[in-house]
Amino acid sequence: MSRSITLGQYLPGESLIHRLNPRLKILDLVVILVLLFTLQSFTGLAVLLGVVLVLFALAGVPFRYVLRGLRPIFFIVLFALVIYFFFTGGGVVLFRLGFITIESEGVRQGLFVVGRLVILIMFSLLLTLTTTPLSLTSGMGFYLKPFRYVGLPTEEVAMIMAVALRFIPTLMEESQRLMRAQLARGADFESGSFFHRAKNLVPLIVPLFVSAFRRADELALAMEARGYRIGAKRSSLYEDVIKPRDWAALALILTLLGTAVLLGL
Amino acid sequence: MFIGTEKLTHTYMPGTPFATEALKNVSFSIEKGDFVLLLGPSGSGKSTLIQHLNGLLKPTSGKVHFDREVIGKEKRSLLHLRRRIGIVFQMPEEQFFSETVYDEVAFAPRNLNLAENQVDQKVKDALNRVGLAAEELAGRHPFQLSAGQKRLVAIAAVLSLEPEVLIFDEPTAGLDAAGKKNLFNMLEYFNRQESLTIIISTHHLDEAAALVNRVLVLEGGRLIMQGAAEEIFSKRQELYDAGLALPPVTEIMHELRQKGLPVSTAIFTLDEARQEIINLKRRRYR
Repeated sequence: MSRSITLGQYLPGESLIHRLNPRLKILDLVVILVLLFTLQSFTGLAVLLGVVLVLFALAGVPFRYVLRGLRPIFFIVLFALVIYFFFTGGGVVLFRLGFITIESEGVRQGLFVVGRLVILIMFSLLLTLTTTPLSLTSGMGFYLKPFRYVGLPTEEVAMIMAVALRFIPTLMEESQRLMRAQLARGADFESGSFFHRAKNLVPLIVPLFVSAFRRADELALAMEARGYRIGAKRSSLYEDVIKPRDWAALALILTLLGTAVLLGL
Repeated sequence: MFIGTEKLTHTYMPGTPFATEALKNVSFSIEKGDFVLLLGPSGSGKSTLIQHLNGLLKPTSGKVHFDREVIGKEKRSLLHLRRRIGIVFQMPEEQFFSETVYDEVAFAPRNLNLAENQVDQKVKDALNRVGLAAEELAGRHPFQLSAGQKRLVAIAAVLSLEPEVLIFDEPTAGLDAAGKKNLFNMLEYFNRQESLTIIISTHHLDEAAALVNRVLVLEGGRLIMQGAAEEIFSKRQELYDAGLALPPVTEIMHELRQKGLPVSTAIFTLDEARQEIINLKRRRYR
């Protein structure tokens, strides 16, 4: 029942944004982050918010996925707003009740910081929602390459990450299957004290480990049979080509950065 | 109706782009004491259907009936249901987690909080019912057993709940010919002598065809046929269209018939086929 489990946030799609090269997509995100931190005005933030919303629409991501992705930072946002509103002074007094005063500068800075954070998360979401975990790792792997010169086995690290990602859904599926099998034998994973529940997980964890080790064994054998050797030079099945559209996207984003700097937004 | 479903539909991950309808409007009914074959190609929804029958999965819409009750309707624990309906999953020996065969089989009755002497009795009964010598094997590590023995222990681990209904998902996967034959003999005994209701699922028709009296055929989440075994197995072309083949022996009998030999095609085992051919020769040369 592999279809019932997905990894990360990736939403399959065929849009231009889905098809952009992951290496450049990561670079795009970095440039946008730089842009986000050079912006000094609400106008700039508004423009960028518009851009990210248009991009989500282009990628065909339903808005509730964006909201769901923003949910984890809700409390950080709230906390930041409270701190700025109540503890940053300056400007005109907007509100006063006893020892609490809210001044305009605090409100401005609070909203600005929060706006920046939200937009930052939205752009990161755009990346993770439209890129498969595997292409994300291969993209990251590219930027890890220079570390080879300081002795980091980057190829192997990338392989470890790729294999781990590949097997997370498999193991999740397996644990679900095992859970149902043990439930059918009267197991109880829900009630009882913490210690009791931990003990009840044994019928789940032991077979899961057994199968994980068996899979690891099989995979190692299969890899060796196909000539995988540590430290050997490898090429990849899917050539990671950068197409004109990838450069165009980067150019567009750089233009945006340039314009923002020139206009002093 | 002893066990059945009414317009059962199940959707995995509803409301997401990954939503897949694994079962569509499935309605069937079987009676107490039936030996049912649930037939369908891989991915046709067999496992999903099976898991509804003891409440492991909940219907997206529709109902599941068992013994005049609707499963999941009452809030009470599903444990009483799982005592009565045992499911042996695909490759059940992958669930083993205990250090001894005894503990493995005792897991289910211990979950019922029975006294240890009752548990002991159930473990011994279950091992005897699958034909394993309890005294000899109980202390062994499950991983030390042969593949056939492991399968039997896994079945005993479900039998120890003493269910009235036994459901097997692909019971012969990974077994050799001898193991298969032993398993089928055992299931026949459970059904005929102990009056258990048995459901087995498979994507590959084999000797099981000779044992069952009812057949359900699933394709792409829909129930495309249900009925008495003879009736379904006579629809060779329709089964073929659904991506299913009759057992090889039966196919041979069909071929012989097409070549003009007056043989019966309701034949599912080698022994039956041999007998039929001998009879044919006798009739001819008499």
